[in-house]
Amino acid sequence: MEKKASLLSIFLVLLLLLAACGGNNSNAGNANKNGEPKSGGQLIYARGSDSISLDPINVTDGESIRVTQNMFETLFQYDVNLELQPKLAESYRVSDDGLTWTLSLKQGVKFQDGTDFNADAVVFNFERWMDPENPYHTGGDFTYYPFLYGGFKGDPNHKIEYVKAVDENTVEIKLTEKIAPFISYLAIPMFGISSPDAIKKYGEDYGEHPVGTGPFKFDSWAKNDKITISKNEDYYGDKPYIDGIIFRVIPDNSARLTALQTGEVDLVDGMNPEDAGKLEGNQNFKIIDRPSFNFGIMAMNTEIAPFDNVKVRQAINMAINKQEIVDAFYSGYAEVAKNPLPPTLWGYNDDIEDYEYNPEEAKKLLAEAGYPDGFDTEIYTMSNARPYMPQPIKVAEAIQSDLKEIGINAKIQTFEWATYLEKASNGEHQLALFGWTGVMADPDNFLTPNLSAANAEKPANNYAFWKNEEFTSLLDQARVTFDQDERANLYKHAQEIFHEEAPWVPLAHTTPPIAMASYVEGFTAHPMEQDNFAKVYLNK
Amino acid sequence: MAELATKKPNLVIEQEEKVLSPWREGWQRFKKNKGALVGMVTILIFILIAVFAPLLAPYGVNDQSLANRNLPPSASHWFGTDDFGRDILSRIFFGARISLWVGFVSVLGSIIVGSLFGIIAGYYGRWIDGIISRIFDIMLAFPSILLAIAIVAVLGPSLQNALIAIAIINIPNFGRLIRSKVLSVKQEEYIMAAKAIGMKDSRILISHVLPNCITPIIIQGTMAIATAIIDAAALGFLGLGAQPPTPEWGKMLADSRQYIVQAPWTVIFPGVAIMLTVLGFNLLGDGLRDALDPKMRD
Repeated sequence: MEKKASLLSIFLVLLLLLAACGGNNSNAGNANKNGEPKSGGQLIYARGSDSISLDPINVTDGESIRVTQNMFETLFQYDVNLELQPKLAESYRVSDDGLTWTLSLKQGVKFQDGTDFNADAVVFNFERWMDPENPYHTGGDFTYYPFLYGGFKGDPNHKIEYVKAVDENTVEIKLTEKIAPFISYLAIPMFGISSPDAIKKYGEDYGEHPVGTGPFKFDSWAKNDKITISKNEDYYGDKPYIDGIIFRVIPDNSARLTALQTGEVDLVDGMNPEDAGKLEGNQNFKIIDRPSFNFGIMAMNTEIAPFDNVKVRQAINMAINKQEIVDAFYSGYAEVAKNPLPPTLWGYNDDIEDYEYNPEEAKKLLAEAGYPDGFDTEIYTMSNARPYMPQPIKVAEAIQSDLKEIGINAKIQTFEWATYLEKASNGEHQLALFGWTGVMADPDNFLTPNLSAANAEKPANNYAFWKNEEFTSLLDQARVTFDQDERANLYKHAQEIFHEEAPWVPLAHTTPPIAMASYVEGFTAHPMEQDNFAKVYLNK
Repeated sequence: MAELATKKPNLVIEQEEKVLSPWREGWQRFKKNKGALVGMVTILIFILIAVFAPLLAPYGVNDQSLANRNLPPSASHWFGTDDFGRDILSRIFFGARISLWVGFVSVLGSIIVGSLFGIIAGYYGRWIDGIISRIFDIMLAFPSILLAIAIVAVLGPSLQNALIAIAIINIPNFGRLIRSKVLSVKQEEYIMAAKAIGMKDSRILISHVLPNCITPIIIQGTMAIATAIIDAAALGFLGLGAQPPTPEWGKMLADSRQYIVQAPWTVIFPGVAIMLTVLGFNLLGDGLRDALDPKMRD
């Protein structure tokens, strides 16, 4: 009797195990041979943290844009080779004084709610962004707008005089001062064009009911779990092959990769670089590297002593062994950074010599600055992987140990992404890990939002709260100069000042590895994380 | 036949045996229990390791060496190195300090506070017993680790707060134990007699009630240290206990989890350390219960 009972229970346990291992998402796909794109199926994309909002103008982080850039389109767009291409606008003209830009819009485009895309819609969007008195200027801080345009309507340095619809398909924008990279500004995903009807309908809650013109439209958002978007059947351009995308949140890097290996998800980013070896040689998976277009850094809050002392900041730069950190926690998927620009971008100053790793010198400098015995401080870090820093907590620990060598005792404070952004933008930190993936092939996009004096006003993006007049004026000059060589020189000079004043410790430029099942075809990694999922199909 | 008459009657032989105190008797019984002895020795070893960690550890506990990450066990690093190149053996030794300290101090705190509430509830009864017992019931309704996580979430992640949280979640256990003991002792005639002659409540509690509680406290306490060490490791694993670079065993497990395939020693050694310590306390607790309980019925 006992024997029978134990056999039965073993049998039942095995049955349970089989049932657990079974359940895989069966995606229907049309049988199609010869490597031609197949239609159908849902792509499941796993990332490390949830979006903050689905209203592009109200976010500044890449995790949120990752989702919105499928649903919204901008007037112009950077392709994978970082060339500017027309998108919702077909062409532009600029007046001789460089102040009036005339945009010809694409015709026959509709928003996902069926309403028409036209010049009025563009004007409506601009008005909403620029005017704090506008009834639809709700749902967030619209932070990216003042980064670029010097403030909001009514602020003394606001650069847009007016935006108006000349006719149904033409928009005229008059600036108060020249902006050389203006068309690049229009390519930034934060300025995706929203449906005015939807904005009027949802008001403050628009961030949870996004409506754009893109190849995918919004379905649902289960917070901290997943966001579902589906194919826009009425899209004017190349319709997607896949039925939709589910963006899932799996905070732990290892767990996320395991989900890929078990077939729970199809595509994963933010993996631990050293885990790339796990997938090597496995025919069921492939890794595509995203071209480097970012930086990962540690910002020092120059408004709080002792980080207001340039010698302290330089000492810290010399105390951190960046090469070792990059070798240990980026596994060859990164190079050490010395400038706040990626090396591939024009205007990068390669003549600058990085601070060498020299703890002895660092200690001396610290003593000169008046801190021979070091001091106590805190390092703020996010808990989730970012493309420029897949293992931020470990990087923080390594920095903690390096700082200990020169007498600085740092405590590590970890926060999840949304909380982290809030605290850092309010300047609650002394030292903070951060980074940036560019959204413009222009040094202005790397330098102005992160280092200009104007963006040190809370809620700030200049986490060093560095207000250097000379540096900022160089950026301002470069922005109004149309000659690219002249601009490059100005930016090179700016990098020299940055190096001297050392408001940051630049850590790394990464080529983030993206892992996916081998049946995911047609994926091209865009340097700015603006991957075109309309071209992706599931070959299974 | 003639020999029978020369044998001493059994009674006499018994009277020649010494009468041992219940403690000595308990110790005799304890010594015979192999498991209990193993437990006790294990704990003593860990205590010695913890006390003499600075002398025993071959490397500093925070000596990072990123060039030597995740090295397998070797002659220079008996337990290998972790993902920051730190010597795992040294970190295990210093980790013993943390685990044992958290275990002892949190349980001590629970005992003191729990006993206080238990005595008040049991001795004075009525509405104050009602309130205290309901609070205990509510606390016991939650899975203890969840309650600990909630407490640390409110106080902020740190080793101190983890210790406080663990002490708090164990209070009801001791509280109810003491309360039931007090309730049973309260009925005894000698308590009524003591009251009758005017002995103060506090003296009754101290001289008559408490001594009866000591044994169950010792037994329960030993087992509680075992679970406290696991709870501390769990909180450390979740990032709610010890913060970097503290070498708490649970945190060491969390840090090394992603390397379980390529560097299993980074996970095995902290895990085994936790297991041995907890096993030691459990064996000791079991042994104490077997040794002390049957004889010391109250």
